[in-house]
Amino acid sequence: MSLLFKGRPQGVHSTHVGWLQRVQMFFLSHIRQALTSLGDLWRAPVASLMTIGVLGLSITLPSTFYILVKNAENIAENWQQASEITLFLRRDTASKDANQLVTKLGLWPEIDGITFVPAEQGMQEFQSQSGLGAALDYLDENPLPDVILVKPSSQHTSPTAASKLLEKLQTERFVDVAKLDIKWLERLYGFLSIAKELIYAVALLLFLAVVLIIGNTIRLNILSRRDEILVMKLVGATDAFIHRPFMYTGIWYGLFGGLMAWFAVVLLLWWMSGSIDALTAQYNKQFDLTGLHFEALLIMLSVSVFLGLAGSMISVHRHVRSIEPK
Amino acid sequence: MIKFEQVSKTYPGGQQALRKVSFHIEPGEMAFLTGHSGAGKSTLLKLISIMERPTVGQVLINGHDLNKIHRRQIAYIRRDIGMIFQSHQLLMDKTVFDNVALPLVIEGFSRKETTKRVHAALEMVGLRDKIRNLPIMLSGGEQQRVGIARAVVNKPPLLLADEPTGNLDPKLSMEIIRLFEDFNQAGVSVFIATHDLGLIARMKYRTLTLKQGQMITDGLTEDWDSEQTPGYQL
Repeated sequence: MSLLFKGRPQGVHSTHVGWLQRVQMFFLSHIRQALTSLGDLWRAPVASLMTIGVLGLSITLPSTFYILVKNAENIAENWQQASEITLFLRRDTASKDANQLVTKLGLWPEIDGITFVPAEQGMQEFQSQSGLGAALDYLDENPLPDVILVKPSSQHTSPTAASKLLEKLQTERFVDVAKLDIKWLERLYGFLSIAKELIYAVALLLFLAVVLIIGNTIRLNILSRRDEILVMKLVGATDAFIHRPFMYTGIWYGLFGGLMAWFAVVLLLWWMSGSIDALTAQYNKQFDLTGLHFEALLIMLSVSVFLGLAGSMISVHRHVRSIEPK
Repeated sequence: MIKFEQVSKTYPGGQQALRKVSFHIEPGEMAFLTGHSGAGKSTLLKLISIMERPTVGQVLINGHDLNKIHRRQIAYIRRDIGMIFQSHQLLMDKTVFDNVALPLVIEGFSRKETTKRVHAALEMVGLRDKIRNLPIMLSGGEQQRVGIARAVVNKPPLLLADEPTGNLDPKLSMEIIRLFEDFNQAGVSVFIATHDLGLIARMKYRTLTLKQGQMITDGLTEDWDSEQTPGYQL
């Protein structure tokens, strides 16, 4: 409705249409503007590609690192699940007491499985594997203690829970030493969490750079269309109407940048897969790189679209306002 | 329709463009605004289209005080005012159709309605056959008529023209003025700023004259002709 002339219809209100049609027209006009923006990008392919490239590569770097770290974490989890606690029993433990301890520990809910290795069996294994063979026969008595291998249940495999279990086992009678080799796991975890934080920081900085670059590109767009904006304002275009094509440009940059980043990540991981396989083979681990699901694509796309939109919004709000007909 | 009440405009830097200007243009009236370059014509028009705000005084359109119009509302005010400029202000990389359709696209008209109205507007200014051309392929007079078609395409109740005949020869100028008369007869209020005194002299319309920012005459062309200083004669 006109502000100055009561009863003078303006715009769509002048043609008698239902709300459904009006909503339809709203979307149609948005689609039209989005396609126009896409066309504008298409008409300046080199400039557009450069902007899209900057956006895409800036997202590629943190995404690749993130996926690598995520996978390293998965591997670490697998290793940890295999972790065992070794109990060395006191030398003077009678085999009856040892068997009792095994039965007792078998009832603990924290423990999944138990392997009892009596001193004699240990000696035999040592003899056959060490190559010392008959030399060991000269020993007066077996120097090895009885050993119990304890496998914690799945809820007690994390470093903290496993340490608790270790302490508890340590207090058992007949147990001389309990050993859990998780220090290196803790170190790996520490390293991974630092790597993750570093990636977040790098990603944040890169994203900020992307927003600024998009903002600047849109600013140049706005300035090059200054005359058009002036004319539009003269014939009654609202700021929102003028903003829209530039916002769509930002969205398109984001969408294409995100797709580009996705392909770059896939390529990078494919390229690195040879060396990753070589590394994991050393640990006798069957290892598949995960993280390149459809979900990851969606996240990458939404991040890059958000960045594109944010850059254009900042620019548009600052610069369109300053262009006023004089 | 347009009412000025003791309006003064001082630009930053101290240049006084308008001094205590008061007048009232009735709905459906057609009037001219004249004066030397720098007398304040453009400033006066800019106050109506809210490109500038008055330093002192009130500008009213249809009884509404423009001082009370918020920045965000200006766009809607401009949809009620058809504006025509000496420099046309056409988009040179868009076709005649797209140029004339612009106000309708902005207001969100459907494609069908837009096409219908653009055709009608171009018909009125006699450029129906140039609809697919770029403005650059048109003559100065034709470009001006495209500007007029764009100004009237959404049927505003008020037309403002700033030197619409500035670059045209007398014959073309007269054709343009005849167009404005047609719109005026259809009930549109028309307010034209021009220094083309010869053009005004041939018609009997109310003429407001500005001199150094002050309104010095306000009346019919006849009266104005006999009262003017020789310097204003053709």
